[in-house]
Amino acid sequence: MADIRLNHVTKEFGKVVAVDDISLHVESGEFVVLVGPSGCGKTTSMRMIAGLESVSSGEIQIGGRRVNELSPGDRDIAMVFQNYALYSHFDVRGNLAFALKARKVPREKISARIDKVASLLGLSDVLDRKPRQLSGGQRQRVALGRAIIRDPEAFLMDEPLSNLDAALRLQMRKELIELTRELESTVIFVTHDQTEAMTMGHRLAVMNQGRIQQVGTPDEVYRYPANRFVAGFIGSPPMNFTEGELRQVNGQASVRAWGIDIPVDGTAVDIEARDVLVGVRPEDWDIGPEGFGSRVTVVENLGSESLVYSSNRDETVSFLVSSRLRPQVGEEIRLQPRPGNVHLFDSRNGERLGSPASS
Amino acid sequence: MTMSRARYAWITLVLLVVLAPFAWIAYNSFRPNIELISGPSLLPEVWSLDNYRNLLSSTPFWRWTANTALVAGLTLVFTLPLAVMAAYSIYRTKYWGRDFLGLAVLSVYVFPSALLAVPIFGLFNDIGLIDTHVGLAILNSAFAIPFAVWLLQAFLRSLPPELEEAAAVDGASRIRTISQIVIPQIAPGIFAVAVFAVIVAWTEFLFASVLILSDGKRLLSVGMATLIQGYTVDWGRLTAGAVLTGLPIIVFFTLSARWFVQGISAGAVD
Repeated sequence: MADIRLNHVTKEFGKVVAVDDISLHVESGEFVVLVGPSGCGKTTSMRMIAGLESVSSGEIQIGGRRVNELSPGDRDIAMVFQNYALYSHFDVRGNLAFALKARKVPREKISARIDKVASLLGLSDVLDRKPRQLSGGQRQRVALGRAIIRDPEAFLMDEPLSNLDAALRLQMRKELIELTRELESTVIFVTHDQTEAMTMGHRLAVMNQGRIQQVGTPDEVYRYPANRFVAGFIGSPPMNFTEGELRQVNGQASVRAWGIDIPVDGTAVDIEARDVLVGVRPEDWDIGPEGFGSRVTVVENLGSESLVYSSNRDETVSFLVSSRLRPQVGEEIRLQPRPGNVHLFDSRNGERLGSPASS
Repeated sequence: MTMSRARYAWITLVLLVVLAPFAWIAYNSFRPNIELISGPSLLPEVWSLDNYRNLLSSTPFWRWTANTALVAGLTLVFTLPLAVMAAYSIYRTKYWGRDFLGLAVLSVYVFPSALLAVPIFGLFNDIGLIDTHVGLAILNSAFAIPFAVWLLQAFLRSLPPELEEAAAVDGASRIRTISQIVIPQIAPGIFAVAVFAVIVAWTEFLFASVLILSDGKRLLSVGMATLIQGYTVDWGRLTAGAVLTGLPIIVFFTLSARWFVQGISAGAVD
């Protein structure tokens, strides 16, 4: 396994900049998820690493070797496609063997490798079947098997789970995590699904509009989002945002939002009566005697928890409560953010204010 | 789902209209010549093979058939690889002027072939292709390939690009990808092209009559035309010849189509 390094990589399609000066270092054996909304450049980035798109500027290295000019087959990477791209006229064995045959691996070696991969992925009984005779999960495994059979330097996976139904997706997610840990693979995994991003990667790189917004562990990205976009994109249900104003109240730095003063760490932010954007995650609210008054408008029962929407005049806040404690629609309640769980962003550029640990 | 009676009736009607001339040819080929002229009965009163015996003894029919088969085979051999490669190039790769090229290929059909007969005769005369089956096959291919390329377009466009990308990442060369991935995937289209090329060669008349000069090299279409002379039309031999000409094509494609459909459905995904 090898590391992958992107140095100031840019991709332009005519006048459209699809990927804008991104730099990223994926360690050997690391599982990194590229996540972002559709059109954010994540798939284009992956295709450049694979060699399926040329690089407009910048450099891509795999295992310390510049690969910009190498054809996909010479980069020693394997790719799993969203639609699996199985060769439908070959049986499973033929699909698994194709890459090895193309590389002139001796016949006995090919069949030994097929047996090994098939037993690893539970495909031994279906080796003689055509792809159309397989279930969705089996096709997915064949696509994976076709990648791992070559023992490549790195795996590139482009939304490989998105064609599966919900239950199967959960199962394959787990299998994929176990498999890549076991093989100690370097993996770059593209998805628009933030749950996959949070659960699968050692680190994730959140992308938007062709740029990497933040790179970090799932915890870092969730707890200290670097900007408003990341804060809104990662986390489901999404973070509540409102406009606020920083000021001193009785010598304590606080932010005025939702009609109440919320204390913040004054050492971390510049108190110049600045307009800021205030964000609080749905799970970071307390219902109680304190806080601002609002009326419950919608209650969604999610099972153990309930998602409650509550409004006062022109602002709606969503929050999670234990279903045993859930309020009724129409009920008047008071809400306040839990101390230390308020995220502040510059209202002009959306950048996070304050050091990660402070807010 | 069962078909309604009205639908059956409609299909029957269409089939009657379409097949009536063929049926007329077929049963008249078994009718003695005298009956053809005298009686307008629907079916022959006497079934006979006289027309066939007559045709085979009075004309080099088998020679014509062999010549035609040779030209059709050569046309197939020239057309298939060229059409597949041209279509792949136009519809699966990117280069400057590609779209224009795709249109330009079809422009062959702008010119009526009769218009081209004279210059082509001159050209073939200069390069020694007059009165050769190879020359005729080259010409047939030239007319079959543009349409064949266009026909393959739909098949190539429906092929997901990921298949070729997967093959590229797997380390397969372009040639290997085309021969082992693309061609099997578009096999139904290639079969359609083969059918088209053979039928073009089997039925082409104008150039077969202009470019082939020796009697021994004559093709079926032209040979059959010699049965129509001046004011007399030899309906007996003509209908027998028509049946014998059509039969190999019908038999060949009925058999191969069945084999072929099995081949496709065994490999298709979803």
